[in-house]
Amino acid sequence: MAAQNPSLSSLEADVLVIGGGSTGVGVARDAALRGFSTILVERRDLADGTTGRFHGLLHSGGRYAVKDPSAARECIAENRILRVTAADCVEDTGGLFVSTPWDDPEYGDQFLEGCRATGVPAEEIPVAEALRREPRVNPDIRRAFLVPDAALDPWKLVWGCARSAEEHGARILPYHRVLDLEVDGDRVVGAHVRSERSGEEFRIHATVVINAAGAWAGQIAELAHCAVNVRAGMGLMIAMNHRLVHMCVNRCKRPADGDILLPLRTACVIGTTDVFVPDPDQTEIRQDDIDLLLDEGEKLVPGFRQARALHAWAGVRPLFEDTAKVADTRDVTRSHALLDHSSREGIAGFLTITGGKTTTFRLMAEAAVDAACEQLGGPRPCTTAEVPLAGSESHTLYQISHRLAAREPVPQSEEIICECELITRSRLEDTIKQRDTTSLDDIRRLLRLAMGPCQGGFCIYRAAGILHQGGQVDHAGANQTLLDFLEERWKGVHPILHGDQLRQARLDDWIFQGILDVEHLPV
Amino acid sequence: MSYDTVVVGAGLAGLTAALRLSERGHRVLVVARGVGATHLAPATVDVLGYLGDTQVASPAASVPALVSTTPNHPYAHVPTEQLATSLEWFCTKTAALGYAGSVDENLLLPTALGVPKPSALAPRSMSGGDLRAGGRFVFVGLKGFKDFHPTLIADNLNHARLPNPIEARALELTPPSSRLGDLSGRVIAGRFDTEHLIDWLAGALEHGVDLDERIGVPAVLGLRSGDATWQELEKRLQRKVFEVATLPPSIPGIRLSDVLSSALRDGGARIVLGVRAVGARAKGGRVEAVEVVNATGTVSYPVSSVVLASGGFASGGLELDSFGATRETVFGLPLTGLPDTDRVRFTPHYFDTQPLATAGVATDDHLRPVDSSGSPVYENLHAAGAILGGATPWKEKSGTGISVATGYAAAEAVLTSAPMPASEALR
Repeated sequence: MAAQNPSLSSLEADVLVIGGGSTGVGVARDAALRGFSTILVERRDLADGTTGRFHGLLHSGGRYAVKDPSAARECIAENRILRVTAADCVEDTGGLFVSTPWDDPEYGDQFLEGCRATGVPAEEIPVAEALRREPRVNPDIRRAFLVPDAALDPWKLVWGCARSAEEHGARILPYHRVLDLEVDGDRVVGAHVRSERSGEEFRIHATVVINAAGAWAGQIAELAHCAVNVRAGMGLMIAMNHRLVHMCVNRCKRPADGDILLPLRTACVIGTTDVFVPDPDQTEIRQDDIDLLLDEGEKLVPGFRQARALHAWAGVRPLFEDTAKVADTRDVTRSHALLDHSSREGIAGFLTITGGKTTTFRLMAEAAVDAACEQLGGPRPCTTAEVPLAGSESHTLYQISHRLAAREPVPQSEEIICECELITRSRLEDTIKQRDTTSLDDIRRLLRLAMGPCQGGFCIYRAAGILHQGGQVDHAGANQTLLDFLEERWKGVHPILHGDQLRQARLDDWIFQGILDVEHLPV
Repeated sequence: MSYDTVVVGAGLAGLTAALRLSERGHRVLVVARGVGATHLAPATVDVLGYLGDTQVASPAASVPALVSTTPNHPYAHVPTEQLATSLEWFCTKTAALGYAGSVDENLLLPTALGVPKPSALAPRSMSGGDLRAGGRFVFVGLKGFKDFHPTLIADNLNHARLPNPIEARALELTPPSSRLGDLSGRVIAGRFDTEHLIDWLAGALEHGVDLDERIGVPAVLGLRSGDATWQELEKRLQRKVFEVATLPPSIPGIRLSDVLSSALRDGGARIVLGVRAVGARAKGGRVEAVEVVNATGTVSYPVSSVVLASGGFASGGLELDSFGATRETVFGLPLTGLPDTDRVRFTPHYFDTQPLATAGVATDDHLRPVDSSGSPVYENLHAAGAILGGATPWKEKSGTGISVATGYAAAEAVLTSAPMPASEALR
């Protein structure tokens, strides 16, 4: 706990949110919409943690229909809401549950019964119809079921929330790390924060501090001597080149490792695994887990091991385990946890919201802000189930062809900087200006720059040149972000490099080392 | 039609070997899946640019040091005098492009990021960019061409470590209007070939550039007319002009590939692209025929010699599957340089030397692939270029040098073992 330091400049707000994942920006937006002055701080970029590293499934609830009915009910309710309020982040792919030869076909009956009981629309279709819709899926499947799963773009979701919150007066501060919480007697009154970009330190005073740090929530709570036992469950994902499937394809069995393959923009993603890790910042990708996902992928889509694997990454689920002997945890459901530290440890002005999943982020935010209202003068109604996110005002669901459609009227209007993801020069330049960023990795998250088959082989040189030409960075800054990008990219590339993607990687080596000679750049 | 030698691969190594054999009377067939990596790389011949972290001034002086520390390097099988001979021969065969330089000293040419990069040879349209003497430079960008960023090039060069001071600046020109807002290097090169874009460029550069400034332009001055355009530009401007290679496809690389392919065809050799060599019919330790799959089926070409120049992982000569197994894709030759365990194929840091980096075939001094006991797999099979193990070409800046030197050396080895080709004897 920091001693009060009057020399620090400070900001004031009703609500301070810690954490810039989907939960954090959801809380900030909800609070701002209810008229509270709100500040959000995130130690890195928005969605840099778990949200930006999940598989991208907007759950129908089908996956939980048998195992966790209350989670299933929440999922289908939130699924219906987000299709309207976050339409621009949702691609309506539909979901397919299939019984492969490795799965008990009778589980399908339990599945249908679970879906019926929880209100998740599910319909069995003939195997031939399933294979007509998904020709690459294993032809030996025995049963198939349709559910309203969808693909959710986590970065668009988080930035849509953030921009919406800003439109309602909130301040969103990425790259601001909480160094300490300020506790006055039995009350958390704010936080001591450092800008990771400028190094500047300052205080933020708030009536309520909401800890939305996900798998890192325990670290934040500890700053106020509160115990939040969040375990980090690491899950591995692999992005494959092209959309091997057009729907979210799940194995029809109890949820397990490597049982879901879903389309995400121009690629598709297979997930996932579940391994406890002691430190959410230490996520090492193991070859065994890669092999497990590739083998499971082969069961869903024969030939999977010959397909191009683009990138592997791990995200950490926040798994809340309540060890405190306090009855009133306000545990709304088993799927997430809202902790009021005044009832738990006698510390007022401090709430923790953790656990849960991206699909239910809005519901979690609503619960957290409802609880905050009690400490901010009484209830105010939540409107996030109705008010659309920034970018989703027209309620038009995202389609894979959106960028192409925007380009088509004047196909030769300007340069395409990233061919894989159809990013134009003006779009790149506008984003650089709007975000005022000097990092190619930030731009990647905003535009999906370099996330296609060549993994930046062509566009990263162009983007570095444009960043420098725009005056955002000097030569050393441009060179450094280029080198940082290559190093960061390699972390996700090297564990899965084989087959045709290794050819691609060697071409990239030739470009960066053979043609451009980035190793000898002055930095 | 029968052939004395089948060359597998139409990249720089394959074309070099084929041309050398063809001019010495062999009937040569080149079979390849595609045009080869020459279309991707700058047309410079990089023999050796770096020994570890040290920049190499003279490849001729430094290759022996490389070979002594890396005895399995491809250059270990090329005698020093033959390395020089191969480059001289290469220059005479590519006279249309006017290669400048020698194995004795490296030019320092700016990359499209403004890094001074060592090359032994460069076509004369590029060699004027040699930074060693210092001086004033202007780099010219073309609006609408995304693969060349002159402000970053100039800024980086102004901060580069160079033997003599330089002063670089950037200039952006807007080419005459085109219906295309997204210009590729090929499109611009095509306009130089067909539209006299040179009039516009010479006019735009005449004022605005000082007499003592050297002018760097992206390497897009024409596919067919590239060298002529460059000569004309220097003449009209009375200033030194040079092309700077940038992202693939490489216009100078395509020019080089075209010059070598034309020379081969003119000499009577045959090049067949879009086919895949898949194996050998062998007897008594010799390849008797090469099996080639084309659109209609498998054809068996009887041969007296074979040169394998199918490239490394980038070109499909080597393949790593998802289980960690690496194979040579044409003849299933034994490989060296594989990591001890298939679990660690790559390390987490991009700029480390990767465990799989030096994988490839090992050869004897006749460039014949050998097995683990050091014996040639086939008496009459030779290998050249990126399929050879032991090098880290993109780090050493040695890829094109290895291709020319080993392509030439493989041809010489074939000529030594079969001076009188079968077809010649029949005539």
